[in-house]
Formats: sequence, C-alpha cells, structure tokens
Amino acid sequence: MKRTVVKITGASGMGLLSVGDIISKTLKNLGYSVCADREYPSLIKGGHSSYQIDFSTEELRSLSSKTDILIALDAPGIVNYVKDIKENGIIIHGHEHHEMIGPLLTATKDLELTPLYLPAQDIAFSFGGNHLMVNMVLLGLLWKVLGLEMAPLIKEVEERFATKPKLLEIDLKCLQAGYEGQDIENIPTLQIPSNKEVPKKILINGNNAIGLGAIQAGVRAYYAYPMSPASTILTYLAKTYKESGMVVKQAEDEITSAQMALGSMYTGTRALVATSGGGFDLMTETVSLAAMTETPLVIVIAQRPGPATGLPTWTGQADLNMAIHSGHGEYAKAVISCSDPTSAYEQVQYAMNIAEKFQIPVILLTEKVIAEAQITVDHFEHGKIPIERGLVTSEEELAELRPSDRYKITESGLSKRWIPGSCKAVYCANGDEHWESGSLTEDAEKAAPMIEKRIIKEKLVKEYFPDPEIYGVESGADISFVGWGSSKNAVLDAMKNAEEQGLKVNYLHYEYLWPFKEEKAKKFFADNPNVCLIEGNYRGQLGEIIENNTGNKFAAKFLKYDGRAFCHDEVTAFINENK
Amino acid sequence: MQDDKEKTVERLKDLVDGKSTYLKYESPELLTWCGGCGNYNILGAMKQALVHEKISSQDLILCFDVGCNGNLADKIGTNTIHGLHGRAISLASGCKIANPNMQVIAMAGDGATLSEGVNHLIHAVRNDYNIVFLHHNNSLYGLTTGQPSATTRKDQKMNSAPDGVYLDPMNPVDMVLSLDPSFVARTFSGDIKHMTEMIQAGIRHNGFAFIEIFQTCPTYSRKYKQEWYWDKVKYIRDMENYDSTDIWAARKAALEIEENILLGILYQNKNKQNFMKKLPNRQDITTAPVDEVKHYDISELLKEFE
Repeated sequence: MKRTVVKITGASGMGLLSVGDIISKTLKNLGYSVCADREYPSLIKGGHSSYQIDFSTEELRSLSSKTDILIALDAPGIVNYVKDIKENGIIIHGHEHHEMIGPLLTATKDLELTPLYLPAQDIAFSFGGNHLMVNMVLLGLLWKVLGLEMAPLIKEVEERFATKPKLLEIDLKCLQAGYEGQDIENIPTLQIPSNKEVPKKILINGNNAIGLGAIQAGVRAYYAYPMSPASTILTYLAKTYKESGMVVKQAEDEITSAQMALGSMYTGTRALVATSGGGFDLMTETVSLAAMTETPLVIVIAQRPGPATGLPTWTGQADLNMAIHSGHGEYAKAVISCSDPTSAYEQVQYAMNIAEKFQIPVILLTEKVIAEAQITVDHFEHGKIPIERGLVTSEEELAELRPSDRYKITESGLSKRWIPGSCKAVYCANGDEHWESGSLTEDAEKAAPMIEKRIIKEKLVKEYFPDPEIYGVESGADISFVGWGSSKNAVLDAMKNAEEQGLKVNYLHYEYLWPFKEEKAKKFFADNPNVCLIEGNYRGQLGEIIENNTGNKFAAKFLKYDGRAFCHDEVTAFINENK
Repeated sequence: MQDDKEKTVERLKDLVDGKSTYLKYESPELLTWCGGCGNYNILGAMKQALVHEKISSQDLILCFDVGCNGNLADKIGTNTIHGLHGRAISLASGCKIANPNMQVIAMAGDGATLSEGVNHLIHAVRNDYNIVFLHHNNSLYGLTTGQPSATTRKDQKMNSAPDGVYLDPMNPVDMVLSLDPSFVARTFSGDIKHMTEMIQAGIRHNGFAFIEIFQTCPTYSRKYKQEWYWDKVKYIRDMENYDSTDIWAARKAALEIEENILLGILYQNKNKQNFMKKLPNRQDITTAPVDEVKHYDISELLKEFE
C-alpha cells in the first residue's frame, strides 16, 4: 500500500497543531484516508513536539515509524527528528542558521536527504507577519513538494482564520510565497496518486467520538476532573453543552466525579465519568459501592503509562489488570475497550447499556493514541445502538413492586431496578451487606447468597458480550496476532502490506475483555499454527489471561511499553522475523 | 406563652393531618443506636419536618454516610443510600442534579465531613447544590469506639489520644461561613422542636443548606451531655436584633461554642442561585435529566468533522 508521511516538528506553542490540522483536513477533503497524531511533552510551551500525518488513497488507520517529509519549525526540530526520516527523504525548514544543516547531512549522508530551505521568518516579516507565520510559509512549500492543488488548502486556511481577516491576508501571502519557493532550484515533487472520487468521511479522534457517543446514548450528566489524556472529553462535552443540554460538571476531584455519577445513575438518569489511571485509583471505592448497591456506573479510563504520574502525554495498554481487579470485594464487573473513533463512539453506548441492564460497574478502556489520533472514518450512525436500560417502567408492574423486589435472590442474580420516585416501593441502596429490600444483615445464611448474586451476574454479561472478531482468514495463517485496543490499527495496516508480499496474516481482536470469552481464542489457536500476542504493556496482560484460560501458549509476544503506539511498519518487521 | 401554645397545637394538628405521610416513613427494622443517643431525636425531628413540609416518602432521597448516623439508612421507609465514608454530600449532589424534583437530604458526622471528605463540603458550599446537609457533630468518632475528631475539644482523653487531644478543634460553621454560603443553621439534638424547625427551613431553602446539629454521645462523650448544652444554648428567635443576612454577625456567633451557644438560622442569603439555576446551557430547559434519557441526534455536531 502506497502511503505518504509528513511530520511537522518544533516547540510546543509554535503553531504545530494548527498547521497539522490544516494539512490533515485538506487531505481528507481531497479524498485521502488520513491518520494523524501528536507527540508532545507535558508542557504548555516549549519542549519538542511533533505532529505526524500518514495519508493514502487506500484506507489506513495507523502511523509509520519513519517520515517522507520533515517540516522543522525550529532547529531542534531537525536535530532530534532527523533519525525519523526515510531514505531520500525531504527536510523543509526555515531555520536561519541553516549552516548547521550541512554537518547534519554529512552525518546522515547514507540517507541521501534533500534539504529545502526558505528564509521563512524574513518572508513572514516582509508581509508584516509575525514569527508564528513561519508555519504558513513552510506549509506552502510542502504543498509544492506534494504536488497538490492550492485551492483546497487556501479554502481550509480561510475557514480556520475567518475571524481574523487581517492575519488571514498575511497568512495567505506567506502560503503563496512558500508555494512559489523563491530561489530554491529544482523543488522535488512527489508523485502522489489522486482520488477519483471523494468519499464522504469524517476526520475525528477517539475522545470526540466518545463525547458524541455519550450524547447519542442519552448521557445527561458528565462529571470529570481534568487528567490527560481524558481531559478533551470534558472539553468537547463542555463545548457542545448548549446543543446537547447535558449537565457538564468539572468536579473538585475524581472521588467526587465518580460519586456524583453514581448518585445520578441511582436517581435514574444516565451519567458518565472519564479519567486516566491515576484518577481511576481514586474512584475505585465508588466502583465497589456501585457493585454492592447494584447501581450502574460507567467510567472511561484513557490509558497512559504509569505508575504514578508516569508518562502523562504518552500511550499504553497497561491498565487492563487494574481495571479488572479494581475495587475491593468480589463482584461482577465489565471491562470493555475501544480501538478507533468508530469503536469509541459505539463502545460508550454499549457500556451504558451493559451497566444498566446488568446493574454493574463498567469500565471502558481507551488509550492516548486512540483519544488523540484523528482518523478518517465513515459517518457515525444515528440510532444504530438501542438504549437498553433494564428498568421497570410499566405502570402495572411499578404498582405491584415491593421493596424486597430490588435485591431479590434470583437464579440469574439479576433483580428488578426502578427509578426512585417512580413508584411507592422504596428501598435502601446499602453499602453494608443487606437482604432483599436493602436492609442490613450480618447473617451468614443471607450474606453468602447475596455475595453469590452479585458475582453470578457475570455469566449473563459474558453471554451478552459478542465474541472477539477475526480479521483476515479464519485459519491457516502464516502468522496470527491476538490483541486489543489500538493494536488493531497497526496490525490491520501491516496485514495489507503482508498480503502484498503474499503472506497470510490474521488477527483476533478483543473489544470485550472481562468477563473473558475464551472459546473463540481456543479455536483461533487450534486453527492457526503461529499465534503471537501484540500488546502495549510489559507483562502481556491480556496474553496472560488468554494463556491461563485456554491452556495455549503464544509463539511469540510483541510487547511495547515505552509510551509509543505500535507503528504498522514495526508490525511488518515483526511479521518478517516471526512468520 | 399563649402564642407558643397555639403554635404547638397547630403544629400537632398538622402532624395528625399528615399521619399517612408519617406512617410511610415507619420501618419494621429496629433502631440499633445506644440508649440516649442524639440520633433518636434527630430522626424524630426529621420525620416531623418532612410531614410538616408534606414531603412523601416516595419523593425523598436520603444519603447516609458511614458512622452512627448511617445506621438509620435501612430503618426509615424512603429511598435511601448508605454510601461511603466522607462521600454523602457528593453522592447526594449527584442525585439532586439527576432529578431536581426529588427532595434530597444528606447527613454525615464530624469525622466524615471534616476529615475524610472535607473537600466535598467546601465545594458543595461553593456550588450551592440544592440539598439539605445535616452535620451530625458529636465531636468524636462513635462507631469506631471513641477516637477524637477534628471538633474534639483540646485535652480530652480519647481512644487513640490517651494523654488528651493535643490539637485545637476546628469550627465547621465558621469554616462554612468563610465560603460565602447560602444557608447556615445550628441546632442541638436535645431540642426536637428546634431541630424540626431548622430542618424545615433547610428544606425550604433553595440551595445548599448546612445545618450543624450538636449531638450528644452517651457512650464516648463524658462531659458534653444534654444538660451541658441546655445550660449554654440561646435561641436567635429570642434575640431582637439578630440579622441573619449579616454574615459578620454570623461569623461572630459561630465562634461561640463554649458559652452562649447560639441556635437558629445564623445566616441565609436568599438571593443566591443554586447550582442547577447557574448552569448556562440549561436556562431554558424545564425537564429534569432523569426524564431526558433518549437518543440525541448528533448529525449537526458531526459537521465540524466533515
């Protein structure tokens, strides 16, 4: 699969994000499939950041480890990222002290890089612009190199800066000057295939998708305390709260947001909470209370590497074990995950349904790379996922309810739930061990069946969960992968490359993680001779669950725990080593 | 005195008329507090206040903390949650946001309110969540067998403080008053009638109603018994010049907890907007979040990403 990679580097605060978004959006509007993500330190200004865009006429969903073109907004942006440029790659830069480029190119001469320099700051100043407009000059030059038409780019820039007409005028002059390339001789032009038709797609990241899924699912209260990489869910839901009418509350801490969500769910609306691992640590007592009172609760964990503050702006999949084992005591809980924007939009809706139907806490795992990477996907569907609440709502049934119906011992473990105030029957949602109406008990003969009741609901959840999905051939693959979360994207992209080489690769993807469904995994191992694990943590946490529950062993494990997401070409390299 | 007697008769008649409401709050479960515990009177006052305010058991949510107060959770006939230690206020605020048509009352002791969950109290005052909060202040940890709390007076010997408490106590009412609250009252568990009036006033208040109840503990508080309080308490209703809209008068009164303990509504600001009324995006919404759960069309919002 032919793809082109552009990487913009510089200090945070230099306008990386806006130029990156302009490129991504314009490419999407030209009909390309786009995947774009940022890497940045936990700082507001300064430090090294990068914004990478992979695009292709064919569908792609992950990033490459090397770039074709590096646009460096500052000198460290070249020095630190020169190692990330492919052979014969191009460096577009406007750094005044470009003499330093010489020695760097000598040091990397095997790569045969082509530097393209424009005095971008002088050009911006000559139009009365400021130092931030360096990015517009270099963007113009990039467009020349890409050989793409200017009109869609100009339109995107105009739309983005429409509220600042004076600056826009200068921006456009910078863009044009960059495109003309002044004195640069022989500007190389990449041969990028164009699209015959432009598919109607959206370009969106996972956190905005979770926000949209929550709105769609009828979540009426969102409680959160800011924590990367979950914070932008709060930002998005606050930004859209006039349209949605949702109560969006930034609480004083994570304990409060979890407690408020639980109170709102108990009272009968739909509420949501999101955080990262460290914030979730504080919420676990509430998870335990939700389980004890059989009150639905949904918490999104946007993973970043820990322990403690860890790598706040980087990615990982290391909180699976924590999610499964969080909260003291024994009880049924669901842990599910998402893998891309579409899945994020849908899984948050399923999470609400699972929590309400089975009256359990549900944890939805996402990752920094899913939260922030923008991918072109189909429009999200309206009304595809029904709202399932599992509440008693009919007048006749409500009239006949008795307090003891609330926690009645049943074969399945599931008993009736109704909205407080909707009928005469009242009950105690008791954090202490209780009997059927919620009345406190310390009797051995009542405690044991109640503990069982809250655990055996797990069977219903497991039956409700869909099986993990196989991508590629069902059986007989040269190499197979099992994984969850964002790993899916790198594997699916690598599968396309492998197919072109004539290799058969398949992938078993788990979105529903706990309670664990083992049957499909057993069959996958039986049908495929070379099953490998791909996971973003040190232990191979899902891998351990699979090995323990199926008795199978992985042929090899591709584990990554350095805060970086899997790139498709790294998976390709792993395939070639382990096929 | 004649006026008082007439009022009492009127209130009794009110209770008789509300008999069916009252009976719904009755529970077959036996109360488990120590004999002489202040909680019996608090329960009596709360039930009377609810009947006077004509709040049916169906339309009420009570959020209990962990502690002696929490042992009422399953012994009163209404919607109750027996939550986690220190978290009753946050839980109750979430309930109220979901359905502002329900009356929500939270209660917690001094351990929960001033130690485990003091952040929640501070921010509930600031947010002005429209709930009643009964602060059961008995100046000790009862259920864990008599450790000192943040309001235990200095030099008292307690379980875990064998040589006496070596810290000065906090004054929760003064702290709350420093946060620009909308309602602060003080009452005491020896006076059911006064507690009833304060709880009623709290229910009628449109915002966060902080009610401190000085509560006696017959088991772990040797000195501060009902009689001690009776000798010290004074009532705002008997004072001619007390202005409950004057926060500085309230703060001065709040500091008096040894002699001349002032009971009543110390401070009230009726002009404040409670949390739900403050929300900029819900000014024109008349429904409650509990009735709003349905699919919301996102097609307009998707345009940003096209």
